[in-house]
Amino acid sequence: MNLRLENIRKVYGDKIAVDDISLEIPSGVIYGIIGPNGAGKTTTIRMIMDITRPDSGQILIDGHKPDDEFKNYVGYLPEERGLYKKMTLVEVVTYLAELKGKDTKYINGCVDDWLKRVDLLEYKNKKVEELSKGMQQKLQFITTIIHDPKLIILDELFSGLDPLNMEIMKDIILDLKRKGKTILFSTHVMEQAEKLCDNLCMISKGKKVIDGKLTDIKSKFGKNAIQIDIEGDGKFIRGLNGVKSMTEFNNYIELQLDENTDTNEILKKVVEKVTVRRFEMIEPSLYDIFIDTAKVDPQDMSAEKGGSDV
Amino acid sequence: MSKFWVIFKKEYAQVVKKKSFIIGIILTPALMIGFTVLPAMLARVESSSTEQMAIIDQSKLHIGQRFAEEIAEYKLDETEDSYYEVRRIFEIDPIENERFEQLNDSLRNEIIEKNIKYYFVIKSEPLVNDTNIYMVTNSDNFTTIRRFERKISKVLSTLRLTNADINLGVDSVLNITRRIDLKIKDAKGEVIPFQIKYFAAIAMVGIIFGMIVGYGQMVMRSVIEEKNSRIMEVMMSSVSAFQLMLGKVLGLGAATLTQVAIWFAIGAIISTQKTALDISPAIERILFNGPIIIFFILFLVSGYIMFSTFFALIGSIVTNEKEAQSFVMPVTMSMILPFLVGIYVIQEPHSIFAVTISMIPIFAPTMMMMRLVFIVPTLSEYSMFSGIVGEATLSLLIVVFFTIFMIWLTSKIFRIGILMHGKRPTLPEIMKWIKS
Repeated sequence: MNLRLENIRKVYGDKIAVDDISLEIPSGVIYGIIGPNGAGKTTTIRMIMDITRPDSGQILIDGHKPDDEFKNYVGYLPEERGLYKKMTLVEVVTYLAELKGKDTKYINGCVDDWLKRVDLLEYKNKKVEELSKGMQQKLQFITTIIHDPKLIILDELFSGLDPLNMEIMKDIILDLKRKGKTILFSTHVMEQAEKLCDNLCMISKGKKVIDGKLTDIKSKFGKNAIQIDIEGDGKFIRGLNGVKSMTEFNNYIELQLDENTDTNEILKKVVEKVTVRRFEMIEPSLYDIFIDTAKVDPQDMSAEKGGSDV
Repeated sequence: MSKFWVIFKKEYAQVVKKKSFIIGIILTPALMIGFTVLPAMLARVESSSTEQMAIIDQSKLHIGQRFAEEIAEYKLDETEDSYYEVRRIFEIDPIENERFEQLNDSLRNEIIEKNIKYYFVIKSEPLVNDTNIYMVTNSDNFTTIRRFERKISKVLSTLRLTNADINLGVDSVLNITRRIDLKIKDAKGEVIPFQIKYFAAIAMVGIIFGMIVGYGQMVMRSVIEEKNSRIMEVMMSSVSAFQLMLGKVLGLGAATLTQVAIWFAIGAIISTQKTALDISPAIERILFNGPIIIFFILFLVSGYIMFSTFFALIGSIVTNEKEAQSFVMPVTMSMILPFLVGIYVIQEPHSIFAVTISMIPIFAPTMMMMRLVFIVPTLSEYSMFSGIVGEATLSLLIVVFFTIFMIWLTSKIFRIGILMHGKRPTLPEIMKWIKS
């Protein structure tokens, strides 16, 4: 299922939430929409789902405007999640699948398998409100995909999940991709996108910053990044010749170098002052690319980067 | 529309499976039997007892004695016993004030202790001043009061005539000027006691009111709950807002109808046993009356859809139930109004005011039912185009058209309202949604 956004624009009062965004989401890929909180990810997704309507521009599914049938072919996990708390797990899954046009025979045939896959089978007849938040999230994920949708839209799927559950979900997503489904997901955690998506689009302040295949984007930005792990204060590195930018993390420092910078020179200068435990040439992370292209102050982003990891 | 049915089924099952619904089904027949059978039983109990009274007479004219003789003519059904039993007549001198106060106090106590129901005080000079005669009682039974008034007037008139020096015989003057006990029949020559009409109207209006407010608010709560549990976006990715709204309104409406259908089934069983249960023909005329039953169902259904759509609208724009209460108040008040102005409407069901108010959509379901019960359509009036049935048909059509308008209006606001969180939309915002 191919999804196209053409010059989508949405304004709330005097705030431009989404500003002239065009995207092409090819069939059968995992597509990531990336950007900090408030960048316009959720608004974009809501417009795809016809929950809010764009002020201008259009959304095309396989070249057509989405019709009623579209709702049966899409699985949507909104950022604002919720389920019927008083219903049992199996009731909720059945009800929501029925609303996607599936009959009870189909649902009964697969509900146990899905619940088992996310370790919820034993709670099958418990009420949703008895589940922990993480369990509810897994259940919600199941309700999103049980009707075998062609297009799956996941808004901030991983937020609030522990690494173990994240792994389970990631496996399912990769499985779905193998089955030819198109998966669109949004996240403000760049590492997640980096590990999952084939294609991506970065947005910031409602505008598209960059989009395309992950591999293309990375190669375009070259291999001008270095990760070093040192003992002592590394603040001086920022001022070294050839260093374009520096980001400090808990356990390591990431450097963006100017083109044609001799990495050996950098290493020499660092070794003079502090002990180096590790020195590694790396591909630029999406985070770095984002900072670089969106011209965002790294201070604004550091909170995001420190978030959860896949 | 298959998705509509999925929602319909779920909303319906959710209510019907509840304990309160089952309890309602068990309790209602009990109340219904109570309502139809109890009056007959009460009437029998009442007719077997006489009402006790006493008289303090300071007139020196034996007015008390004469009055007692007059009211003795009111007999219990098919017996020789008097309906009113004058236990004692205290004839005392007007100057015996102390004795009077003693008697007055003790009789007052007798009334409080329910040993007697009335006592009369006849002071001196009653022929000159009417206020010298009064009755003490806790009862407001206007039939009895009317009877007493008439008889005491007769006694006083007789005495006044005797004192006056006129040529005609006292009896013939009394005969000429006698007052009558007015029997009330309606235009069709039927005698349906006011009380029965009143209770039937209150019961039917009460059911319509209870169902609309009860189930209507259930629609509202269900919308608020889904809003608060953040499931609306998931729902909107599967169904349209219109399907969701209609599924909720009609699913819960079906639960209402289920309950009413069970009542009717029980009513039908009662009607086959009416001889055994000794249901009075008057109750039968109202409760087993074709047009009344049909319009009851139609007004219940249309009124329910009209109000529950409105309740769905409220649910969609508020953020929590507490906030909803300020919107629910006016709606509930508009439904309580019939109980207030009802007193006038039941006395003058044909007045312009009564006709007008029963044509206003939000009042029609209750006010029209009230009028129907009080006018009681007869077989000859079963015409869709005239008389009370014609008026009811017109009022029903008004309700239906207004309801269609409400659904249109609500569907415009509902879609946007249910996805809003944290903030209640302002009126200008809502107007913008309607226009869009």
